[in-house]
Amino acid sequence: MDGKFAKISPFQVDPDKIPQNIHLNDDDFLAAGEDEKASMVEKHKSVSYWKDAWRRFRKNTVSMAALFIFIVCLLFAFLGPKLIPYSYGDQYRSAQKLAPFEYSDDEKTAMSVAGSCDGFYATALQPGSRTAIKKGDYYVQSGGKTYAFSLKKAVEKSILILKADEEPALFVVKEKDIKDGQYDKDKIQALDCTDTPAEGASEIKLVKSVFPHVFGTDSAGRDIMARTMYGARVSILIGIVAALIVLVIGSIYGAISGLAGGAVDFVMMRIVELIYSIPEVLIVLLLQVVLKDPLQKWFDSGTSAFASAMSDLGSGIVSIFITFALLYWVTMARIVRGQVLQLKEQEYVTAATALGASNGRIIRRHLLPNCVGALVITTCLQIPSAIFLESFLSFLGLGVSAPMASLGSMCSDALETISLYPYRLVFPGVILTIIVLTLNLVGDGLRDALDPRLKK
Amino acid sequence: MTGYILKRIAVAILTLLLIMTITFLLMNAIPGSPFLTEKSTPEMIAKANAKYGLDKPLYIQLWNYIKSYLKGDLGTSLKMQEGTPVSTIIFHQGKFELSLKLGLYALLLAVTLGIPLGCIAAYNRGTWIDGFLRVITTVGVAIPTFVLATLLLVTFAVKLQWLPTISGSLTTWKAFIMPVISLSFYYLCYVAKLTRTSMLDAINQDYIRTARAKGVKTRSVILKHALRNSLIPVITYLGPVMAGIITGSFVVESTFSIPGLGKYFVQSVLNRDYPIIMATTVVLSALVIIMNLVVDIAYKIVDPRISLTSKEV
Repeated sequence: MDGKFAKISPFQVDPDKIPQNIHLNDDDFLAAGEDEKASMVEKHKSVSYWKDAWRRFRKNTVSMAALFIFIVCLLFAFLGPKLIPYSYGDQYRSAQKLAPFEYSDDEKTAMSVAGSCDGFYATALQPGSRTAIKKGDYYVQSGGKTYAFSLKKAVEKSILILKADEEPALFVVKEKDIKDGQYDKDKIQALDCTDTPAEGASEIKLVKSVFPHVFGTDSAGRDIMARTMYGARVSILIGIVAALIVLVIGSIYGAISGLAGGAVDFVMMRIVELIYSIPEVLIVLLLQVVLKDPLQKWFDSGTSAFASAMSDLGSGIVSIFITFALLYWVTMARIVRGQVLQLKEQEYVTAATALGASNGRIIRRHLLPNCVGALVITTCLQIPSAIFLESFLSFLGLGVSAPMASLGSMCSDALETISLYPYRLVFPGVILTIIVLTLNLVGDGLRDALDPRLKK
Repeated sequence: MTGYILKRIAVAILTLLLIMTITFLLMNAIPGSPFLTEKSTPEMIAKANAKYGLDKPLYIQLWNYIKSYLKGDLGTSLKMQEGTPVSTIIFHQGKFELSLKLGLYALLLAVTLGIPLGCIAAYNRGTWIDGFLRVITTVGVAIPTFVLATLLLVTFAVKLQWLPTISGSLTTWKAFIMPVISLSFYYLCYVAKLTRTSMLDAINQDYIRTARAKGVKTRSVILKHALRNSLIPVITYLGPVMAGIITGSFVVESTFSIPGLGKYFVQSVLNRDYPIIMATTVVLSALVIIMNLVVDIAYKIVDPRISLTSKEV
């Protein structure tokens, strides 16, 4: 090692840097002990595909931030509705057209009463409304017990107040008797207490304080934040389910086509080409109209659990799923076919075939696991496109039907009053954009993390 | 080359026939009759059905459509403008012209602005210009057309009042600005992203290094050597762009109150005016299919390496 090899070596070795004295003892040539072997294994632990991918994904700051924001959106959409007392369909007559964080007069009254009395402020079904309290039966659930009350005569412009003592009592206080949040104790009217709630009794929700309308309310007095939450939930669910439908149909079709080859592949790919060249939106619009009534009929007649689960979603959403199952799987099928064509030439597939593995086994054990990266990426990027389609259809008045909220239909509702209440458009629009943006970025990050071509 | 083009035209016609069949079946599956009104009796509906040949078996009706389309006759409207020939409605009432104008301007904007922006980003890779463009294009492909359209409407028409709220028949240049921008923005951003990526691919090729080594100016390396090769993915994308612009036109036309074909299609579906549904679908699909055809042939011109006869799917 005097450096003369450096000249012919392709590597540029600096002769000065080669250690001059390498001391090797006899011990160095002994067989490795168990401990040493174990530490060797520990040091060179094989990293699984997903762990490796996750490590690479974590390094990608933008994708990690996008993932975090997307999780926040998920919480907003799925946990949010549980935290606020409003729902997508509740209409608060007195609380129409409120700006963000604005309270209606009734809510202001309600808040002042709630602050001053020792009981709870409550009103039948509509917190914060100063409507007439109808005669009839009411019930309150408190501390695991149900208390029933009945009102013999309707009272105009009043508020129900519940005294939460040991034995709860329900009172009606007329609005004119409330001054500065204080009510005259002599002028309250107690409701008759009955034993069990009559059938059709209205539930009284207990309200300790009035929750602010963070995004304001729309012309029908519906809370915009609640609707945005439900709309985001609908969008995300539709995106995920549609992407899964595309994944299943596309990967099965693509795998069969790629594996079969020959005439089968030729015919299958011509079908894909035909579907691919159809401008799908024209067909989608027709499908939406066509499927509406038959689906509704099926919901009404169907007794199966599947039909009732579908009917909860509504015909608009189900026809979006059908649309995806019919038209949108072709890109996925092409990608999977391309992957399969590449993979089936690999030696290990030849080996498996030689060992007598069935086609099904080859698809399951060798082909699908190897194109899982491409599948994950395409599926992830399919979600935003499904969300786009859903919101587009809802914007045109198809898709998700009222009273269920959709970000698209909220934007189109907002369009009518855009000059007066632009924020009604901004909130759902921005949430929609954030969801699509973060999903795109997460998809890009996944591509970088999972694509084996970039793996070094 | 000629053989290939003929084959592609045959496939295009087959696709169009398939679309006609699907549309025909779907529109006949829409519940209700186009003649169903509050006053109509079953006899009146039957009479109207007989008048327009809707009482014949479906396959004969479909055959009649195909026959008359081959003659260039698009039929007459059943309901929305009863008795008026559909070709008059689509082509002579400015609807097609409006939509086509809007779509072409959007396409033009996406290409003429998207490609240079992509080049600028690739050329300034890693600098703040690239970063800035990347943020814009990434956000741009995440904004749905209707959100952008309505946001533009709020800002420039309602708040600032620079531009008209209702674009109408696009008679002034001001009326064009917002519809064209909102229609093309997504594609502009996508084209810019695509150009940047393929430009970066191209820049790392050997022939670029050779050109540089020969002392060719940076500007001509980019414009002559790199751009030409990086345009291929962009051209491939133009087919889907056309389809997407037609989709977007539904939204843009209803947002800016433009009486174009997209808006009319939605109305015709809701009104079950069969001949109009069919004609609009065929005209719009033909646009997309022709665009795809042109793109496929343009391939060959841009990149002679692509073999037109091989069946690359």
